[in-house]
Parts: sequence; C-alpha cells; structure tokens
Amino acid sequence: MILPEIEYHAPRTLAEALKLLVKLKEARIMAGGTDLLVELKQGLVEAEALISLQNIKELKKIEKKDQSLRLGAMVTPQEIISHPLIKQHFPALVEAAKSMASPQVRSLATIGGNIASAVPSADLPPTLIAAEASLELQCTESFREVNLLEFFTGPRLTICRDEELLISILIPVPPPKTGISFLKFSLREANALAVASVASRITLENEVISQASVVLGAVAPSPLLALKASELLEGKKPSPSLFEKAASIAKDEASPISDIRSSIWYRKELIQVLTRRSLAESLKRAQKNPG
Amino acid sequence: MEEIKKQHRLLLLKVNGEDHSVAVQGGETLLDVVRDKLRLTGTKKGCNLGVCGACTVLLNGEPKNSCLLLAAECEGAEITTIEGIAQEGQLHPLQRAFINQGAIQCGFCTPGMVLSALALIEDNPNPSEEEIKEALSGNLCRCTGYTGIIRAVKEWRKYLKTEEPPSPSYDLDKFKTVGKSLPRVDAASKVTGQAKFTADYYIENMLFGKILHSPIPHGRIKSIDAKKALSLPGVKLILTGQDVPEITYGVSPARYDEHVLAKEVVRYVGDEVAAVIAVDEETAEKALDLIQVEYEELPSVFSPMEALQEGAPQLHDRYKNNINTHVDHHFGDVEKGFAEADHVREEEFVGNHVYQNPVEPHASIAYWENDGSTLVLYSSTQVAHYVHYMLARVLDIPLGKIRVISPPVGGGFGGKAETTPLDLITALASQKTGRPVKMVYSRQEMFLHGRGRHKQHMKFKIGVKKDGKITAFQSRIYLDGGAYSSFGVITAYYAGSMIPTLYHIPNYRYEGFRIMTNKPACGAMRGHGTPQPRFAFECLLTMIAEDLGIDPVEIRLRNAMDPNTRTCNDLDIRSCEFKKTLAEAANKSGWKQKYGKLPPGKGIGIGCGGFVSGAGYAIYRGQVQRSSEKKPETFAKKAMFPHANAIVKISEDGTAAVLLIQAAEIGQGALTVLSQMCAEALGISLPRVRIRAEDSDLSPLDLGAYSSRTTLMGGNAVVMASNDVLAKLFALVSKMWNCDQEELEARDNQIFHKKDKSKTMEWAEAARQYFNDQGPLVGTGWYKPPEGLGGDYKGAAVGTSPAFSFSTSVCECSVDLETGKVSIEKFADYHDCGTPINPQAVHAQVEGAIVMGTGETIMEEVVYDKKGNILNPNLHDYLLMTIKDAPEIFSGIVDSYEPQGPYGAKEVGEGATLPVLAAVAHAIANAAGVWIKELPITSEKILKALRAKKGK
Repeated sequence: MILPEIEYHAPRTLAEALKLLVKLKEARIMAGGTDLLVELKQGLVEAEALISLQNIKELKKIEKKDQSLRLGAMVTPQEIISHPLIKQHFPALVEAAKSMASPQVRSLATIGGNIASAVPSADLPPTLIAAEASLELQCTESFREVNLLEFFTGPRLTICRDEELLISILIPVPPPKTGISFLKFSLREANALAVASVASRITLENEVISQASVVLGAVAPSPLLALKASELLEGKKPSPSLFEKAASIAKDEASPISDIRSSIWYRKELIQVLTRRSLAESLKRAQKNPG
Repeated sequence: MEEIKKQHRLLLLKVNGEDHSVAVQGGETLLDVVRDKLRLTGTKKGCNLGVCGACTVLLNGEPKNSCLLLAAECEGAEITTIEGIAQEGQLHPLQRAFINQGAIQCGFCTPGMVLSALALIEDNPNPSEEEIKEALSGNLCRCTGYTGIIRAVKEWRKYLKTEEPPSPSYDLDKFKTVGKSLPRVDAASKVTGQAKFTADYYIENMLFGKILHSPIPHGRIKSIDAKKALSLPGVKLILTGQDVPEITYGVSPARYDEHVLAKEVVRYVGDEVAAVIAVDEETAEKALDLIQVEYEELPSVFSPMEALQEGAPQLHDRYKNNINTHVDHHFGDVEKGFAEADHVREEEFVGNHVYQNPVEPHASIAYWENDGSTLVLYSSTQVAHYVHYMLARVLDIPLGKIRVISPPVGGGFGGKAETTPLDLITALASQKTGRPVKMVYSRQEMFLHGRGRHKQHMKFKIGVKKDGKITAFQSRIYLDGGAYSSFGVITAYYAGSMIPTLYHIPNYRYEGFRIMTNKPACGAMRGHGTPQPRFAFECLLTMIAEDLGIDPVEIRLRNAMDPNTRTCNDLDIRSCEFKKTLAEAANKSGWKQKYGKLPPGKGIGIGCGGFVSGAGYAIYRGQVQRSSEKKPETFAKKAMFPHANAIVKISEDGTAAVLLIQAAEIGQGALTVLSQMCAEALGISLPRVRIRAEDSDLSPLDLGAYSSRTTLMGGNAVVMASNDVLAKLFALVSKMWNCDQEELEARDNQIFHKKDKSKTMEWAEAARQYFNDQGPLVGTGWYKPPEGLGGDYKGAAVGTSPAFSFSTSVCECSVDLETGKVSIEKFADYHDCGTPINPQAVHAQVEGAIVMGTGETIMEEVVYDKKGNILNPNLHDYLLMTIKDAPEIFSGIVDSYEPQGPYGAKEVGEGATLPVLAAVAHAIANAAGVWIKELPITSEKILKALRAKKGK
C-alpha cells in the first residue's frame, strides 16, 4: 500500500523533538521506521504526522558512564554488533542484535524502537532485562529513569506517556563472575521473528550462584522475568539437574499464545530446552569471566 | 472539495553522485521516489515490507531497504542504486563475477543482491562463506538456490582484471556452442539494472488501477455504490461486474468459470469485485475505501472433505457436490496385483498449499494503438500466447488485433502461467479511458490471486514381491481446488498420470477428485500436480524397502524404468537414464557408508522424480482462432498448430542473426539456450545471435514457459529455422563454388567446403551477398509434438510428452532431537536432461529447485483462518528459505541423449523439483526416527512425533 499523505517532521535536537511531541498530538514517533512503516503500509496503524528522530545526534551515542553503558535510543543493532565496549561487556547483547531480521533492517532499526514498540517477540529486551537495564524517559517537563522490566505493560503497551520519549538505555556493567547468554528459536535462519527466546544471567560467588535471572521472550504479553526459576537458582551450586529443574519451572511460568508460528504446547517445550541451554552457556561465561 | 491536498516538499537527493531535486510527500518512500520519479527502475519492489531485499540501496555505503526509508530521511546522504555500480561503461568485477558464475536467473533479486554483496566486499574483500551468507541474508532469491550467488561473491576477485571464463563443468567437445557453460545472454542487462520488467515501464499519460477484493469468502453482491469513490479527484473510472463482458475465462476450455469482475457471487476472500482507475496508485487505493458494497453472505466451506458432504455449501451450480474434476483410471488389475504381492503397505499423506511467490509481483500495462483498433498489452506472463488467446476471447476481437509484449519475468514457477485480472482489467479500462493503464499486484494481492500448489490428501497403497518388485499401486487423492478451475482439471490428471513414468508398475489405479472450496484458486506450480504424489509414493516405497530390509536405492534400481518403454497408462518413454542417476547420486553422497550408520539426529534420505519435456497437447483445442468462432471439435491425437515457431533473420551485413521466437524468459535461461542452439545450427558464435522474444508482433507463437517445454520444443523450432537459413545460404555458396550443398559446412563464423580445404568464406560475407542478390535472408521453423501421443482413454492426453526427464536426489540433514529443528546440510543430485545445452544453466535449475523444494517440504504453507482469510499473505510470515537456510548442493548430469530433442536435449526446469520433497522427508525420518507424512514437516510436528513415539 502507498503510504498516506503524512506530514514529516525531523527535529534536529531533543528539545525540539519534545516540543513537537506536545504540539502534535496525532503524530507518531519514528525511530528506525522498520516496524512503524510496515504497520502504516498494511493499514494496521494510522498517523497524520511522523516525528523522525533520525537527525538527533545526541540520541545516537554510546558511552560509558560510571559503571554503566549508556546507549542512545537511536543506536542501531548494527552499531551494537560492532561496538567494542558492547562486545567487551555484553556479548549476549551482540548475539541478540545479530539474530534480528536482516543486515539491511539492522542498520535501519534502533534499540529504542525495539524496546518502545513493545512487541512481545522483540529480540533485545530479554537480554537487557537479564542485564538489569533501565531506561531514561524524557519529556519537556520532566525526566525519569525506569527499570526496563517495569516499562512494559502488555503487547505494544508501555508506561511511556504520550509526550514522553525514550532517550537512552542504561546497562550496568555486570559484576565479576557473571555470564549472560541469549538463545532464540525461530523458523528459519535469518529474517525471522522469535518463536520463543530466553536470556539468562548467572553471577557466581565461591562456586555458588549468587544472582540469577531467566527472562523469556515471545511467550507472554511482554518479556517475562521467570521469577520462580530465577529464585530457584539463587544460592545453589550450578548443576545440570538444577538447570533442568529451573528450565521446567520456566516452562510453567511461560504463558504463550498459539499463533501461526507455533502452538502453546510447542512454545512451552522450547522454553524448557532454551532455558536449560542458556543457563549452561551463562554458567560457562560466568566461569570464564574474572570480572 | 479541495483539488490539491497533498503537501509536497522539494528534496535534494544525491543519487549515484548526481543531485536531483524532487517534489516529495512526507510519506513517500525512497523506493517509490527512486523508481517513479527518478525512473531508476533497477531498484525493485518485491514485497514493499522490508523482507525480500529487492529494493536494497546503499545509503552512505550501507545496504538498506529503500521501502523502509522515507525519501525525506535521505536528504544529504549518498544514495547508490544498481545503476551507479558500473563506471564509465565498465562493469564492476563483482558484476562480472555474477554474470560468469551463474548467479543470475530471473534477475529480479539481482540488483539488491549485488548491492548487499558490494557493501560486504568493500568492507571485507575476502569474505568467508559464513560472512557472505550473513551479508546476503536479507535478500531473498527464488530461482538460484543461492549457490551461484555465493560462488560469485567468493570468486569476485578473480574478475578484477580480466573476464574469466565461467567455472568449467561438463563441456561437450562435439559441439561448438551447445553443451558449453556460456554466460546468459541477458545477464549483463540484469546485473546493471538495465533489464526492464513489466512494472518498470512507464507510458506517457498512464493511469493506474487497483482492485477491490471481496472481504467475505462467499456471498451475493446485493449492491455496489461507487458514487463517492468516483467523485474523488483523480479517479477516472470505476468498473464493476456490470461493466465487464458476460463471457467467462479460465485455463481449460471445458471449465472457463471466471468473470473479469464478479458478476453476482463472490466465492473467496479476495475475489475481484470492482476496479478503480485513477491518476496514480495512491488515489486509486484511496478510492477503494470509498466504494460501498452490500453483500448477502452465503455459507462457505474450506476443506475438500467437508465440501463433499451432503448439504455442504455449493460454489458453482455446474460442479455437483463441489466436484470440479473426477478422474478414475485403472490400468491392469490392481486386485490381482495386490493378491500377488508378498507385502502390501497403505499410508495416508497430506500435502501443503504452497504459493509460488516469485520475487516479482504480477504487472500489466495496456493501451490501444492504431486509432484504437489494436490492443497492446505488457504482461508479466510466462505464457504470452494463452494471455493473447484469452484476451481475444473476453474482448471478442481477433487475435490479430492484439499485440502482447512480455518483458523478462521475475520468476513465475507456474504462478504467471494464466491470464490475470490485471491483464483483462487494464485492457478494458484503457479502452474505456483512452489512456494507458498500469496495474501491479501488491504481495498480498499475489496471495489472493493465488494459483499456488493444490493441497492434496493422498491415500496410497503399494504391493511388492519379496524382492521389492512392485506388483500393484493404488491411489486416491482429494485435491483442494479453491474457488475456480484455473489449471485444476489438468492438475487432477497429472497427479496420477506421472506416477508410472519412473518405475515399472504393472497394475495401477488412480482415483482423483478436485474439490471446490471458498479459497483462492489453485493452479499449476513447478511440477504441476505431481510433486506431492511423488513425495508420497517415494516415501511409501522407502518405508516398504525398510520393512523388507532392502536398501532404498536397491528397491528403486529393481523397479526402475528402462528406455523405450510404454508405461501402463500409455506414455512412451524414450531416452531414460534413471538408473544412472540412482547409481551416481548414491555414489556421490556416500550412501553406502552413511545409510543406517549415522548417529541419532543425523540423517540421509533419497527421493526420485522426473517430468515431461513439454506437454504433448496444447491447452485449447483447434486452431489459433478466437474461441467464439470455433466449432466444437472432438479431440484428435495430433497437434492442431505448431507449439513452437521461430524466425531467424540475418542482418543485411551478415554479422548478426536475429532470432525471433515468443519464448518466455522467466529466469530459467530460455533465451540463452535457444540462442546457443541457433548459433550452433548456423555455425556462428553466440555473440552474433540476438534473440527477440518479447513482442508478439515480431516473434512467432511459442507456447512459452510451462510444462518444461522450451528447450525441447522451442529448440527444435529454432534449429529448423536456422537450418532453413543455412540451406538458403548454401544454395548461394554452392553455386559460387560449383559444388553440392551437401559438401558445405558452416562453423566458427566461416563456411567451408568439407573436402576442398582451400575453399572457405566468411559467413557474414556469404550472407551479405545473399541479401544483395535476393533480399532478406530469413529462415522459419516450427515444431509440432509427434502425432498419436497417449492412449485412448479419457484424460490420456495429460502426461504425454515427446520425452521425459529423470532424477535422483540424496539429502543429508540433522535434527535437533530436543526441539525438532531441522538443518538441511547437503544435497547430491543427478539429473537426466539428455544433452545439457548449457550445463551451468542446468545446475542452476537444479540448485534452485532443491532450495524451493526443500522450503516447500519444511517451512512453506499458506495458512487460513476459519473465515477463509489468509493469515500469512506476506514474506514475513510466509517463509521462503534464506541464504542461511540453503544447503550445500552438488548437481550432476548423467550422459544421455534424447532423439526427440534438439541436440539430444530434454527438460530440467520442473523435473528437478520432483525428487526433493521425498529426499528431505526421508532424511528427516532417518535422522529423527519418525516419519512425518503431512507437509510441511515443521520442527513442531517432528517434536510431537518424537514425544508420541517416546510415550509408546
């Protein structure tokens, strides 16, 4: 479908963008556009005007700030894949970014868009949640920092207010002896949505798991922290049978839907396998990572 | 009402180093601006949703989907399109690699593919295979199986300085041009973006049309109110069922059952209800929303089994109980055959409804020339003549008043083998408006138009002796036809007729039912009706071999077809090197070392196949004539007109041969192999031959690209026309040299006296003299299939052919036994295509068929909801294999010679698909220990079967 006659705005500064957001109530924010333009063309959403963030340089930075990495919302998956700091501290995020769509789309899409569109199968949020990332939301009046996990309220729903903009993502550099991994199951090797995905994190202290999280993607209305599975792991010595038990709990915690890609049954089965495999990989990484 | 509401802004775009100022709307994509405003049409629109990658451009050196970029976002960026790659007339080495390594077929994905590859090599001149696959994973190709593309990117540095010959493979010494892996004659135009597909044409003063599709699966149209739509500024015409001829159209003359636009009843979600013609696409689309249609909804039915039940909703009065076609064939005596068997096994298999999904969407442009008396139609068709014939029928004008132009087609696979609503609506609308009208399907509309593969429900039973020799075979098939006949009558016959061509089957019964359902019509797709039955038969044969402890290769060898055999259903097999394909594929794959010896999760599987080299009979009966003027004719066992015709016209200076034949280039290489045969027969080199296939005013009738007919039928006509030229030339030269014509020979652009070596002459010089003495040097040729093909029973014509191909595929895969995930790792395939006219093109067909066939086996399926809506009418959700899914492929050709074929050649295009499905299914069964008998064999089905087995 040919796109409707849309007004196009491309502010050059964040301040301008925030003002436009207040002024143009019917406008949609466009980051990379890889999701929004597809939906507009299919007539799934409508927009009178677009506010493109493409020209706002301050949203494209990657910087280390205290013990965190700060990624501007307009950083692309391609930049995540090739950035030395991210490669060093968050190999799992690099893997998640690599698993997304296609090279062409990865150089258009943005981390902010991947989060803010709140698609249940989005590839970056599970790893970011496992890494305890938080978001910076800004509007003309105020600024707030929120936990990423709390950002999502449902499929395509977030706590972000109309006049608010997700401007950056803060990811604390993981403590020593921490491993994070991401596994995604999809129906073909490239250009495919996740049928189910799991990100897990393990931090070891004296051979015991001091901190763990298992985050599930595409099996709930929003990325899901599998609380019971995560809790089970903490304070225990890692072992295959422990991981198997955690995996089986994660399977129960998942609440997927049936759709064209998979049945509920299959998604749950996948979660169990992916959880076990991801935990094994995170453990390996934790053991290797002296901090 | 406001006349102009559109807000345009002047943008400065830098494309290929040149500045363009363009007036652009906020919502316009870079793709639409580059194509429609700058007319750089090398950038293709394939899916328009960021999946296919055909629209890839470089933005500051990075590949991006131009359909996902607003033009407004690109101001200030360096934009590179395919037209900007060659510099000062010199191709980039990567482009030369694409040409020479066989990386190009239909050429529609090529521009995007080249740009993605270019971005890679500029960053990393020596990429690994893995890096190549990653870089090209956002570019879908439906033709090549990606094999040639990977090779080209790997080898591009070899083309830095000079043009290298293509990788040598199977060059035949006995010929000069035939049997050589020469680059495609259309490759250069496709790799530069110069090749124009139908949608790339813009005719002055052109209007644009869009179709309003039915939103309900079955209903009566009570009223259509188009007033609002018509009053929208820019709308020129609205057509509804009231405005189109009463006359029906379709494919099989006995079952013409479609109207250009629905007259009264809509029968599936997508049925054509109205058409809007407007100044541009956007206006036409907007007007669609303003048309108000009132329907009386009727009950609908979506499964063939339910449609057969008493009291089921009826789609057409003429098809009682929704049975569109019923076939009942019985050869020999199956009861007796099963009684004689030592082992009998019966299984049920279910196929899948897959869609061809060529990367190029269907397009048509029509206008009327010569004071409005002659229709000119550009169509993305693979069978221009049947479109021509159908236009004459529906418009009720002579064929002579129609000129069909068929530009290169960006993939067809059967989905472009019939007349589309676009062809007919543009013709009617351009007549009414007096202006050219263009229409292009969106990807979703392609799915709605349908004509994909019939889903077949198959119950198969084979009886064998202890040694595995087949005594009887019985099948019962229900084909889900969708709402109209399309090719379906033929499909239903093909589903049975081709089974006995591979093995000796003494007793055979086939019962087939094609059933109407409220879904898009199914049609002919690569292998027409036969891949699913072949899949089922091959799987069952393997199961039986495993029951008896006979090696699956061995059981096939024991039953394999022999040359010069008449099958039980009266098909005449001539050349047949099936056994050689079995032996070679087994050998190449290391079958003996692997079968039964692989660890759990690893598997190897076999499948065989074959196909016709052109249908023995044309689709319509009688002469080439408007159908309303024909008297009903009974079926005669001979061709009523030549199926292929060629003219070879030598340029006045003698240096070029222009080959005129209406063959369709859909990516398969038709233009190249026909040119090669022309050059061979004339004794001149390939660069001296130029082929013109696209214009019915210039090129004589050829039935185009269906039933894998071009090489054999077109080739025979081309050779005859070339020989006609040569005879005329030899008559002249023999007079000059005072010798017999038989003593002359043409080769290497020279004419020789066979014995007197002192007598030679430049071919061009001789031709020049001919022109100076006698005027144009022109030869004509034609081909009719042999008379008397087939038996004397109803439906005997389907499956007849002058020659049959044979092939064997061995597939290796691994299955993750915890998730069911399949990786197809390797293929070894051998094909009997007679003499390969262009071995590289043969391999390219095989490689493409393997990837398409594998995708069909493990991931492709059109899915419907309970109301007949397609749930995945896009390339996000309908899964085609990407370059990262494609296996490593070895393609081999066995020595074979077909006496009916030109230079001994027969088909490869469709036959290459046939062995693939079963080879994959068997490899998966071998790896996982469970047979999945319902396509597609998804990871979920595998895991379910593994659990069920464990639970036992």
